[in-house]
Amino acid sequence: MKNRAIEKHFNLLDYALSSLWRRKLKNMGIITVFAVVIFLVASFQILTSSLTETAERMLAQTPEIVIQKMSAGRQESIPLAYLDRLDGIFGIRAAVPRVWGYYFDETSGANYTVMAADRSLMPEGKNLEMAIEGDFPAAGQGEAALGREVAANLKLAGRRTFSLFRPDLSLKSFRVSGIFAESTDLLTADLIVTGLDEGRDLFAIPENLATDLLLYVANPGEISTIAKKIAARLPDTRVLTRPQIHKTYKVVFGWRSGFASICLLTALAAFAILAWDKASGLSAEEKREIGILKILGWQTADILVLRFWESLAVSGLAFLGGCTAAYLHILFLEGSLFRPVLLGWSVIHPSLKIVPVFAAGDLLLIFTLSVLPYLAATVIPAWRGSTIPPDAAIK
Amino acid sequence: MIIELQSVNKVYNLGQPNEVQALFDINLVIEENSMVCLRGASGSGKSTLLAIIGCVFPATSGRAAVAGKQLARLPDRFMTIHRRRTIGFIFQQFNILPNLTVLDNIALPLLPLGISPDERRQRAAELIERLGIGHRRDFPAGQVSGGELQRVAIARALINNQPIILADEPTAHLDTTLSHDFMGIMVELKNAGKTIVIASHDPLVTEHPDMDRIIDVRDGRIDVS
Repeated sequence: MKNRAIEKHFNLLDYALSSLWRRKLKNMGIITVFAVVIFLVASFQILTSSLTETAERMLAQTPEIVIQKMSAGRQESIPLAYLDRLDGIFGIRAAVPRVWGYYFDETSGANYTVMAADRSLMPEGKNLEMAIEGDFPAAGQGEAALGREVAANLKLAGRRTFSLFRPDLSLKSFRVSGIFAESTDLLTADLIVTGLDEGRDLFAIPENLATDLLLYVANPGEISTIAKKIAARLPDTRVLTRPQIHKTYKVVFGWRSGFASICLLTALAAFAILAWDKASGLSAEEKREIGILKILGWQTADILVLRFWESLAVSGLAFLGGCTAAYLHILFLEGSLFRPVLLGWSVIHPSLKIVPVFAAGDLLLIFTLSVLPYLAATVIPAWRGSTIPPDAAIK
Repeated sequence: MIIELQSVNKVYNLGQPNEVQALFDINLVIEENSMVCLRGASGSGKSTLLAIIGCVFPATSGRAAVAGKQLARLPDRFMTIHRRRTIGFIFQQFNILPNLTVLDNIALPLLPLGISPDERRQRAAELIERLGIGHRRDFPAGQVSGGELQRVAIARALINNQPIILADEPTAHLDTTLSHDFMGIMVELKNAGKTIVIASHDPLVTEHPDMDRIIDVRDGRIDVS
């Protein structure tokens, strides 16, 4: 035989569920609206987490330090002679000059990012093979690897060569050595990677200059120390570290997500206020029911438990429905409703494959912001309603 | 005696501009296993008296004891517990929840007591059969007739086997035949050992031959003239 107290809670839960079922039309409406609001908030949360995770995965293979020369607050080409000035700073494993810039394709109206470096000088260069379907461009061979969106824009249709204009409008030809994998789309969708000499040729950059210098360090724990030393030795440069770039990605996605979340949380707050308003102004029917239950021997606490179960069932179902819909939205539709908001940073929108990342912390945050306010917004007014004398309720 | 009131007064909205005194210096004793009628016109105070006996709210002053408990000393929580153990209510409007089935309405007082669903159904079903509404057992209460609703209300008042049954204008919405039936059930209950207190001004009730005592209530006072 079950304990009476436990049995009582089962009875109240049973009554609460049947009570919800009796008013199914009204409650389905509330659950649907609530689930939609939770779906919007959860979609943003999952999408932000997924993008941050993808960005972190991609950035893991980038150099630890990037040095850019600055002049009048703007970036300009860096002399290769700066490499000699790094001599004597311990912990630098390799220093690689890089040329990069933007190429505007008038035919498609898109901007491509052109990146040129000698992969053989990069300590992690071999690892990049995993990110490409085909081969990495060999230095000095006139080859290029393309991001998937670039390849689509150039309409190669089986061709393995394409041409881009130099600044003097002469044509520079490339042979396609490979296409970047879909999983790297966030970083490579608009990317053309080629050899250092090809990059210099395309942008007409003199041989003694590069756009920036990539530095690989032996001990990741010393990145900031080395960066400080470089900044002291090369005061006219900007020294970017991988942790800083990580942070920038997080801030960019976090800011966008935060902005959208504020808008959605406003909707959530409006829903909570609506729930409060509805619950605090108990209908005559609800008051009468409370009065009948009280006069039949139900205590105020019993009625509160009943309302608690009802609210938990409504908000719990909405929470599960909203979060599940958000997960499926990211998994199958790749967050199509909100991608433009979070990924609108490039002319070519990366069509990366997003793997939903749903951390326990995210779930807890959404639960705290949705279910708990709803419980408070319905149970507290119900408590006020249930303290009225039973005779007043049934008159 | 099972009910004893001494110098009971009841004032609604005490200390406010709309203060109203409903009962004045009520002294009343009701013996166990008796059937008593509180007779009086509308607004005479009989429903207020019934509510104090029924532990719905306390008297403003005076002493009220029901089934051995001094109500004035009981906090609200314990008053509720005492009410559900001691008092079964039958209302003029029946106060049945129309969306619940007849059986669920009758079992409603048992839910917070932690009685299992099987036992609830069994106890309710026994009363339903006893009161002759077995054929309506699974009907929504909103779909049964007035006479049947009255029986549902009686069954609900008996489900916890309370010793005292209070009925407030129980025949107000019933025709003569159904009123006779109702009184027949009340007599049965009295014979089974229950104490019955009925507030009514229906002659069919007040002049019923099995009524042990008539107490006249007028303008908030017990009329002894």
